[in-house]
Amino acid sequence: MNNLNNLNNLNKTAAGKTKSEEFSSKNEVIYDDPRKVFSEALVELGSKNSNVIYISCDSSLGASGGEFNKKFPDRHFEFGIAEQNAMGEAAGFATCGKIPFIAAYMPFVTFRCFEQIRDDICKTNLNVNIMGNNCGFSVSALGPTHTVLEDMAVIRSLPNITIFSPCDGPEYYQAVFSAAEIEGPVFIRIHRLKAKRIHSNGYKFICGKGEILKNGSDITVVTCSSMVAPTLEAAEILQRKGISIEVLNISTIKPIDKELILNSSAKTKKVVSVEEHSVIGGLGSAVADILIKENPVKMKMIGINDQFAVVGEYKDVIDYYGLTPQKIADAIDDFCR
Amino acid sequence: MKKLKKDEVELLLKKAYKCRQNILRMMKNAEGHIGGAFSSLDIITVLYNKILKHNPSEPKWPDRDRFILSAGHKCLALYTVLADQGYFDESILWTYGQFKTRVAMHPEEKLLPGVEFPTGSLGHGLPVGHGIALCAKLDKKNYKVFVMLGDGECQEGSIWEAAMSAGHYGTDNLIVILDRNGLQVNGPTEKIMNISPVEDKFKAFGWEVRTIDGHDYNQIYETLISTPFKKGKPSCIIAKTTKCKGLTFAEGEFQYHHWHCEPDKIDESLEIVKESLKKELERIK
Repeated sequence: MNNLNNLNNLNKTAAGKTKSEEFSSKNEVIYDDPRKVFSEALVELGSKNSNVIYISCDSSLGASGGEFNKKFPDRHFEFGIAEQNAMGEAAGFATCGKIPFIAAYMPFVTFRCFEQIRDDICKTNLNVNIMGNNCGFSVSALGPTHTVLEDMAVIRSLPNITIFSPCDGPEYYQAVFSAAEIEGPVFIRIHRLKAKRIHSNGYKFICGKGEILKNGSDITVVTCSSMVAPTLEAAEILQRKGISIEVLNISTIKPIDKELILNSSAKTKKVVSVEEHSVIGGLGSAVADILIKENPVKMKMIGINDQFAVVGEYKDVIDYYGLTPQKIADAIDDFCR
Repeated sequence: MKKLKKDEVELLLKKAYKCRQNILRMMKNAEGHIGGAFSSLDIITVLYNKILKHNPSEPKWPDRDRFILSAGHKCLALYTVLADQGYFDESILWTYGQFKTRVAMHPEEKLLPGVEFPTGSLGHGLPVGHGIALCAKLDKKNYKVFVMLGDGECQEGSIWEAAMSAGHYGTDNLIVILDRNGLQVNGPTEKIMNISPVEDKFKAFGWEVRTIDGHDYNQIYETLISTPFKKGKPSCIIAKTTKCKGLTFAEGEFQYHHWHCEPDKIDESLEIVKESLKKELERIK
């Protein structure tokens, strides 16, 4: 079901070429709108599997579920601004064999209904798929109530749940199909900003598998989601300075690709994590959990250090927290010395 | 209106009081939420014996009516009724309080056949029940979903989120039974946090509401059998009950919400419950 071609078909240009084909031929940079990709994937999934339903909490337009509603109005359930109820309703549907995708703003679809996620979905191990919209600093202008830097920390603590943190269009698209196939609950982190296309044709997203995006020998840098592209740019900056970093994209946060992380860290002996999330409980913590037990090496976590977010436009906030390519490169450079 | 015959009421009473006695026997092993179990037992007995379309030999029969005990702490009542219905062997009841028992102090669907959904944290069962009821509509199936709430539970906001949702969708295959015994852990519901007028609250959320005596078998049966009360609206039954009904010294006493009982008191309590049954049988003659 993981069909990247569908995504490419949806992105056909006037010349009849897919954007990816154009990308490979012209080396053109492509940006995907994660919410649009999610919407397209959900419609495609819904047309193949009549058990798929979409649940929104006054979030159907923002979460790009509007297309699903147009095509399958009977299978779209709106529960208003009441996420505790919506999550319980999703569990109820799933007990009858339905495959709910429930989408809302990150804080409301995680913290507000955390106990429903824990008791009604994770403990029961039901096939409910939670779309956490606007992860990281997606909506930083809205302030710290809407800017969630703790979602991975909280959700990762729950047994049975799978966590995806895709970085580009092909990953977002395939993550939706993968989530439906997994029998238990899945949490997908969705960024609002357009994502630079990292993957080309033929990429296959596999639950639980990370990947080496750039080989290197001096240091392993582990990242995910919106930080993949800036980390790759940081790698180029460092390359020019003669520092060779190996960049790992960890698109499944749980279960994490332990083997990939251990193999890379065994080679480089140094690990840095880069994430648009608190350093408490996020990707860095998940990596540290493995390293401390199996291969304790020197490690640095680049992220947000136990703070609530400042208010501002994305580019300013990212710069403030040191998450631009140059600042990531500088921090890694410092760590190497 | 379809009524129960006298011998049917007698049989149901005997079953319910046998369950009360079994609960006391289970509590030889450990403390338990006896108050709400005894207040809800007559209703749950009528449900499983006369109302629900269900099949104990096929607990997951897709077209079954669902019963969700949202106030999961009343599960001693559910366990004893399920055992009586043949969902599992009665001997499982006597493992109550033991390490890895299947009859936990809150019900787990993975441990015991017949438990529809695991509950314990209050306010969860109604949203889940409404999701199942909507799913029946989506799948064009006829099953009903019965959800039992506690009255203290109605202080949880998620109950009213779900009540609003059911009113909005007009989900008429959803039936709430509110075990209105008036008491919660620390005292009278009206004193801890007043939920009255709870009838009006459900009505205001778009429900059709009936109030009954939750220990009168004919009222319970006639009300449950006539659901939905109105096409296109969810039904709510406010069942006025007595906490710890049948154990006379504990009736209406909030301290018996959760009872840690000395084993020698159990035998005495068993006799009291037997006496209560005799009186009930006398009363219906």
